[in-house]
Amino acid sequence: MSKFESGMEAMVDMYIYETTTLLEQLDQILMKTETASEFESEDINEIFRIMHTIKGSSAMMGLENIASLAHAIEDMFYIIREDKPVIKDIKKLYELVFNASDLLKAEIDLIQEDEYTATDFSAPKDNIEVYVTVLKSGGAEPVQEEKAAPKAETSSAPAVSSPDDEISVKVMFDDDCKMENLRALILINKIKDDCEKISFEPADIEDNPDSAKVIIENGFLVHFKSHTTPDVVISGIEEALNVKSYEIIEKAAPAPIEVKMDESAPVKIKMEQPKVTAPKAEEAPKEASPDASNNVDHINNMLQNKGGAKQSLISVNLNKLDQLMDMVGEIVITEAMVTANPDLKGLHLDNFQKAARQLRKLTDELQDIVMSIRMVPLSGAFNKMTRIVRDMKVKLNKEINLVFEGEETEVDKSIIDNLNDPLMHMVRNSVDHGIEDTAEDRINACKPPVGTVTLSAYNSSGEVIIVVSDDGRGIDTEKVLAKAKKNGLLTKNEKDYTDKEIYNMVMLPGFSTNEVVTEFSGRGVGMDVVRKNIEKIGGSVSVDSKLGEGTSFIIKIPLSLAIVDGMEVSVGRSIFTIPISSIKESFKLKQGQLIRDTEDNEMIMIRGECYPLIRLYDIYGLETDQKDLYGGIIILVEAEGRSACIFADELIGEQQVVVKPFSPLLNEFNVKQNGMAGCTILGDGSITIILDVNNIISNY
Amino acid sequence: MAAENFSESNNFFNEGGEVLLFSIDNKIYGIEIEYVTEIIGVQQITVVPKVPSYIKGVINIRGKVIPVMSVRNRFGIEERDFDERTCIIVVNFNGVAVGIIVDRVKEVFNARPKQISNTPDFKNVNKNRFIRYIINANDEVKLLLDIKTLITE
Repeated sequence: MSKFESGMEAMVDMYIYETTTLLEQLDQILMKTETASEFESEDINEIFRIMHTIKGSSAMMGLENIASLAHAIEDMFYIIREDKPVIKDIKKLYELVFNASDLLKAEIDLIQEDEYTATDFSAPKDNIEVYVTVLKSGGAEPVQEEKAAPKAETSSAPAVSSPDDEISVKVMFDDDCKMENLRALILINKIKDDCEKISFEPADIEDNPDSAKVIIENGFLVHFKSHTTPDVVISGIEEALNVKSYEIIEKAAPAPIEVKMDESAPVKIKMEQPKVTAPKAEEAPKEASPDASNNVDHINNMLQNKGGAKQSLISVNLNKLDQLMDMVGEIVITEAMVTANPDLKGLHLDNFQKAARQLRKLTDELQDIVMSIRMVPLSGAFNKMTRIVRDMKVKLNKEINLVFEGEETEVDKSIIDNLNDPLMHMVRNSVDHGIEDTAEDRINACKPPVGTVTLSAYNSSGEVIIVVSDDGRGIDTEKVLAKAKKNGLLTKNEKDYTDKEIYNMVMLPGFSTNEVVTEFSGRGVGMDVVRKNIEKIGGSVSVDSKLGEGTSFIIKIPLSLAIVDGMEVSVGRSIFTIPISSIKESFKLKQGQLIRDTEDNEMIMIRGECYPLIRLYDIYGLETDQKDLYGGIIILVEAEGRSACIFADELIGEQQVVVKPFSPLLNEFNVKQNGMAGCTILGDGSITIILDVNNIISNY
Repeated sequence: MAAENFSESNNFFNEGGEVLLFSIDNKIYGIEIEYVTEIIGVQQITVVPKVPSYIKGVINIRGKVIPVMSVRNRFGIEERDFDERTCIIVVNFNGVAVGIIVDRVKEVFNARPKQISNTPDFKNVNKNRFIRYIINANDEVKLLLDIKTLITE
């Protein structure tokens, strides 16, 4: 964040949050209007407001490039709103705005990186400006009419001066309308068409947020020379938003004329030279750094403006929630330390037990509440897909319906953040590869011509399941096998693969059945990344398909990363925690179950299936007295459709544990790649290591 | 960050400062006091597999899991069993907390600039990269550890 002055960091977060939200809103409005194929005035106002806010806050943050692009869009919608031109090329309009919205989003992402350099947005800005010119010329007539009207109205007012003279007007804005400089800019844009010549002080309103202060203090001074009569321009000023009062400062005006405006402050016409009241441009240098509290007010104001319905919400820094979560985790552990204290063994303490039960109930509730605070509905992540599908529909010329089911399902915030990319890849994959290329293909296959991609989510035993499914052509197992063979990805005999295994091959690195690489997918990177990202957040992906009927990607993710149900097992003096979700069963080995192959690899036969055996003490180089397979315990674990048996000394018990990340020092030694997901503190204060079953299976 | 650390150390070289002294065998080492968070007795260490042998494992300090390293092992000195004087010095460098197991903690010593000298600059002789400065006071040599190298390399 080196780009920003110190002390601005807190605002940067706020800015990013706010701008991202606004851009998402923009996309939604655009998509809605595009489907309805008409702009309601409300929508235009909304877009105008969004761009205005983005422009304002970006200018405040010193992000001129974003501000100027936002400004161009704002201008465009200003014209659409005010002049109501006949929009001939609506497609082009959408393209421009969607494009700009994407650029802005990308830029916002960039800002979050340390080495941020502003991207040049002059090209898209120019495009928009060109379009605006087209709009203006297309809608020239209504503009003229509008101009004519106020002329008639004001002609009764005393003529201030002849049209030839240059006139100066001092404008004061509403006391707390905020961002006076931008109001001034809007004003200038409004009246400039009526003026032959126009200049204003302070001159740097567009790019110096400090000029707002100058305007508050000294007013905004406009010098202009009108095409027709100055009255047209003055009435324009009068009508402009947030104008409290204005005074006409005439260099050689004969007599003061009083003009009443609304019922607000009376407007005096001064005889003084404009220079006296005019703030000099040099007086508004950068040295007066933006007043932090003032800026925060700006943002708060913007946030409040978002609508009354959201006022019961507050935005909280995620770090604070993480801390709270940690703290609650501590309390849960401490509670167990107190109530199960070894000192209490053998004592009959009725009252203590009662109080302890009450405490446990409360801590459980506390934990639930804290977890629920961090829960965010998936609808946000889903809505982003609407946009992607829309873009692809246009580019690929396919008709696709995107259907949401259960988008109100909630998952932990940290998971949502990691879900966007995988979802995007999967939706792209479904649209690009899944759905048939043409409507004819679909009709031939006795399916409705419009393809459907469904995003559904639901809760199932402590996990959230998200399914991305399409009703397209499905996965052709033979094609997949042939491709896998060609790429040397097969590890066993072709005939030995089950359908499920074949489907899951599409998620191997370097795999794509699409012959043609398109802009959206087909490079064989996507699905591999999907799997990696999902696994990173402790989830898993599997594929199911039926040839000719469609394909589903099933993502299973934990509700929360922070607390897992674990089974403690001991190996020598160490204790490990295996997440219950990956344990299928545990048992004592019986004679005849153990099989050794020619290379002395050990395998265990359970109900006719053979599983590899992993001795924990062996892979981790631990010392233990329990090396006899028949004396210890075997735990059958499964991750991602692959199973293995883990051998440990004994089972200790089941417990809910709070996951603690490893110290960065340990992460440097690749502990994560060695099958350790994190550690946790047990009730007695001792630490256990949580095993990453998936990693163990793939590594050993 | 590296530059900052360098200037900090330079400050120490020019102005001196407080040093926590501890001993391993008969040698005395020091850590700049600003890095030290606390000193605790040896407690149960949970072994973490698949890490270098000088990382002894992790300990639980009031709900925080921090790794502990043995300086003996790190310096290539033969390890010995813990006794009642064995201590863990918890240091915090750049937000990373690490416990350092030492034989015994001695005292806090205020080193004056005069007493601090650089380690010899011969590339072949001065192989011990963990030593930042040598403090010579009261006819005793104290080796000031370079926490950064100790923790990050």
